[in-house]
Amino acid sequence: MDVAAERIERLHDLARAAAADDEHDRARYYVRLARRVAERNRLTLPRTFRRFICDRCDAYLRPGRNARVRLQDGHVVITCDCGAHTRYPYGDQ
Amino acid sequence: MPLTPETLPRHELNGLPVRVVESDDASREGLEGRVVIETTNTLSVEVRENGESRVVMVPKSGSTFEFAITDDAADLEKGSGTASKLADTQPAAADESSAPADRAGGDAASCRGDDPSRDRHHAAGEGVAYVTVDGLRLLSRPARRTETNGDSPWQ
Repeated sequence: MDVAAERIERLHDLARAAAADDEHDRARYYVRLARRVAERNRLTLPRTFRRFICDRCDAYLRPGRNARVRLQDGHVVITCDCGAHTRYPYGDQ
Repeated sequence: MPLTPETLPRHELNGLPVRVVESDDASREGLEGRVVIETTNTLSVEVRENGESRVVMVPKSGSTFEFAITDDAADLEKGSGTASKLADTQPAAADESSAPADRAGGDAASCRGDDPSRDRHHAAGEGVAYVTVDGLRLLSRPARRTETNGDSPWQ
């Protein structure tokens, strides 16, 4: 694993820790930096990271705190406090 | 490539415990804390004292930083106050790094190649390594420090 992938992993931990401390702007900074590193090095962010960030406002999402998670027919809908929805499927074998 | 003294200038600095060894501004010398925000020209260090924290912005140019590296990055998330204390017990080692004449001599053996004049580390027990880096080496946009220029056959 090269330096860029490790940086992204570290930034994930930092963003999660910052969001847990209610430092949402700082978490946003880490998410944006992770996205920028991934972009520069042609990597995709890990799926576990992608599912916890808002596409629109780059906030690190904590279900129940700043995000709503609802199960619909065959897909999950995550609504950020900013109003953006993310959907992803579940249970399709 | 894990976070080692060699890869540190290209690696993520946010979250690392840091100490400002020397600075153009004397009031910033000796600051200890954690890097929370990095910009092209500055590092913001969060200093915790007496339960309250403040964030100090330190310019990279004109400063020398001492980063503490532990074996696993997960360990960095927790408080490592003891590690910072260890750094304090070795003021002599930190002072040595400011004297260029000393560098070439006795400490060459403790350097692992790379850039002996700038990048030094002295180990101090419990898997913590202290890396002293001249701030000038870190002058770059945060996302671009990782990149290596010139080793691509397409350029």
